[in-house]
Amino acid sequence: MTDTATPVTTRKDWASDQEVRWCPGCGDYSILAAVQMLLPELGVRREQTVFVSGIGCAARFPYYMNTYGVHSIHGRAPAFATGLAVSRPDLDVWVVTGDGDALSIGGNHLIHALRRNVNITILMFNNQIYGLTKGQFSPTSEVGKVTKSTPFGSLATPFNPVSLALGAEATFVARTHDMDRKHMMETFRRAHAHKGAAFVEIYQNCNVFNDGAFERITGKDVRSSMLIPLVHGQPIRFGADGEKGVVMDSQGHARVVDVDSVGEDALVIHDEAREDPGLAFALSRLANGPYEPTPIGVFRAVAKADFGSGMAGQVDKARREPGVEGLDELLRSGSTWTIG
Amino acid sequence: MTTTSGPGVDLKAETIGLAASLELPLVIVDVQRGGPSTGLPTKTEQADLLLAMYGRHGEAPVPIVAARTPSHCFEATIEAARIALKYRTPVFLLSDGYLANGSEPWRLPEMDSLADISVPFTSEPNHTGPDGTAQFWPYLRDPVTLARPWAVPGTPGLEHRIGGLEKADGSGNVSYDPANHGRMVQLRAAKIASIVSDIAPVEVDADEGAELLVLGWGSTYGAIAAGVRRVRAKGARVAHAHLVHINPFPANLGEVVRAFPRVLVPEVNMGQLSRLVRAEYLVDAWSVNKVEGVPFKAAEIERAITAALGGGDPQEALGLCLEESSLAVSQAAGGANGSLLAGGGASNGNRKGSGASPNAAAPRPDMEEE
Ligand code: SF4
Repeated sequence: MTDTATPVTTRKDWASDQEVRWCPGCGDYSILAAVQMLLPELGVRREQTVFVSGIGCAARFPYYMNTYGVHSIHGRAPAFATGLAVSRPDLDVWVVTGDGDALSIGGNHLIHALRRNVNITILMFNNQIYGLTKGQFSPTSEVGKVTKSTPFGSLATPFNPVSLALGAEATFVARTHDMDRKHMMETFRRAHAHKGAAFVEIYQNCNVFNDGAFERITGKDVRSSMLIPLVHGQPIRFGADGEKGVVMDSQGHARVVDVDSVGEDALVIHDEAREDPGLAFALSRLANGPYEPTPIGVFRAVAKADFGSGMAGQVDKARREPGVEGLDELLRSGSTWTIG
Repeated sequence: MTTTSGPGVDLKAETIGLAASLELPLVIVDVQRGGPSTGLPTKTEQADLLLAMYGRHGEAPVPIVAARTPSHCFEATIEAARIALKYRTPVFLLSDGYLANGSEPWRLPEMDSLADISVPFTSEPNHTGPDGTAQFWPYLRDPVTLARPWAVPGTPGLEHRIGGLEKADGSGNVSYDPANHGRMVQLRAAKIASIVSDIAPVEVDADEGAELLVLGWGSTYGAIAAGVRRVRAKGARVAHAHLVHINPFPANLGEVVRAFPRVLVPEVNMGQLSRLVRAEYLVDAWSVNKVEGVPFKAAEIERAITAALGGGDPQEALGLCLEESSLAVSQAAGGANGSLLAGGGASNGNRKGSGASPNAAAPRPDMEEE
């Protein structure tokens, strides 16, 4: 960290000179705008900020940021980001990925970065399709989806990315969508402030290959009845007049109810800081897809030692071991002998 | 630095290609084991040489350094790191199961005696934009080494983006321009090729008037050196050269291999260095192979050299080649025996020969077939 005051920046300072090459109307533009508008508010420096991506439309993101950035390979962005975050704890490391990149070839890297609680902020653009390669089914495509690679409909159960991240015991898990800049900015702000691995799923419209995938829940006219805002410490309610709510049934399942029929006291009070990810997981199972009332906001935010701090501690301890001041001492610390 | 015993190279080929494209240092240590697949996980082999050389999609040349004895691993590792750092490239360091499990007395070096291989990071802009602003161009190369500048995150004013997409020469911005791609492919190749002027020539231990060069690499060093001593003790005149740098080859290697009428290349693979030498120098390098998960013995090298000097077949002398007939398959149509080996070419297999006869081993009875 630097000791001089952070310079005042504007959105423009965070945009690179490269032409943005997403399809006109793509949801990626509004996510880029939200990030570029948020960063000046965070009191961070451009040179201390790194965007790491894998492959896909979302993975173009680093090229558009006037920061350090690397566009890496299929699914491995979390691996590169882990190395960077662990070796350079002074940096702000962001991962930008998509549903294909993060959940297909990158599934392994993703769950391990989350499990290890590496200090990175992961923005996963979920458009439920392979956009860059022109429309094949992805790990979040719904069953039955007809695409170029599933001419008779997809047979595979899609991942629920929030459930997956919670299953990996990610310490920060949130969901937002590309139609609400304010919500995105608040969610990204929280994710960035979190020490450890923060995972944000962003419902993103691919208007070319999967147009309207989230319209039934994010459309302006349906939002109030289809999006369930999670607010820490508050009863979980939604609907134009807060007439709907969420309760836990006797089986431990979260269910949507009419508040009138159960009374406000029966509603679940959202507790994002609960150590056990069970409640957050139950909330993530409320909707099977973007056609049912779906929770958005922060599902889980718990404090836990991050991987890099643990590793720095081990390295520091090893360095302070007596007799291993430098390589000379280290080499001579074992079984050696002298000739002549 | 990252390590594997081979499968990791298969799995991470895409990453190695990325490192070649990003032009960032990376040392890949491959402690080779028997393959293919899980193969012989704890046994030795030298069969990843061509994988290290070519195992990536696209034109992605990568330097290769090979350790030859357990103690040489220390020096070879420093050399691999030196090249990686100076030229901003992934480098393969090849070892194998034999070296990794071997031991020998090692004179501990004084750290002060080692060359400084640290690289200065770039901290200043290196280009002036059309509007007069100072810019950082991540692919503006050093004219001598062709290495690109290396600015690390945290350096103010040098923020830049790099990635696996083709980059415009100089600015490093994404470029699909055909001529630029051609130029970048050639620049990356030229950079690796230019390392030749920065590596030691191969040393040749040659007898006066020697007519045979034994050329090796990696862990065969001990067996070849001992085999050479044995034939010399019997009055033969031979030469031994052992490669540490395999890509690029040392500058004098062409001259060396052409200086001897015969070149014998013993390898614990099916003939990988011999192919590279043949392709590079158009010499009739003679491959002698043993791929059994165990290293060569000095006696085997001795037999192979003796056979080669006497006009015999060194591979046969090892007693490790399958008879052609033993690979024959019964063909349903006509019931004739067809051979998998065409035209009586070099037949390298893994039959255990008796090893007793210097010329040819008796075929195993169960493999005899007429
Ligand atoms: S293909 Fe889809 S996700 Fe990709 S840029 Fe176009 S609209 Fe956006």
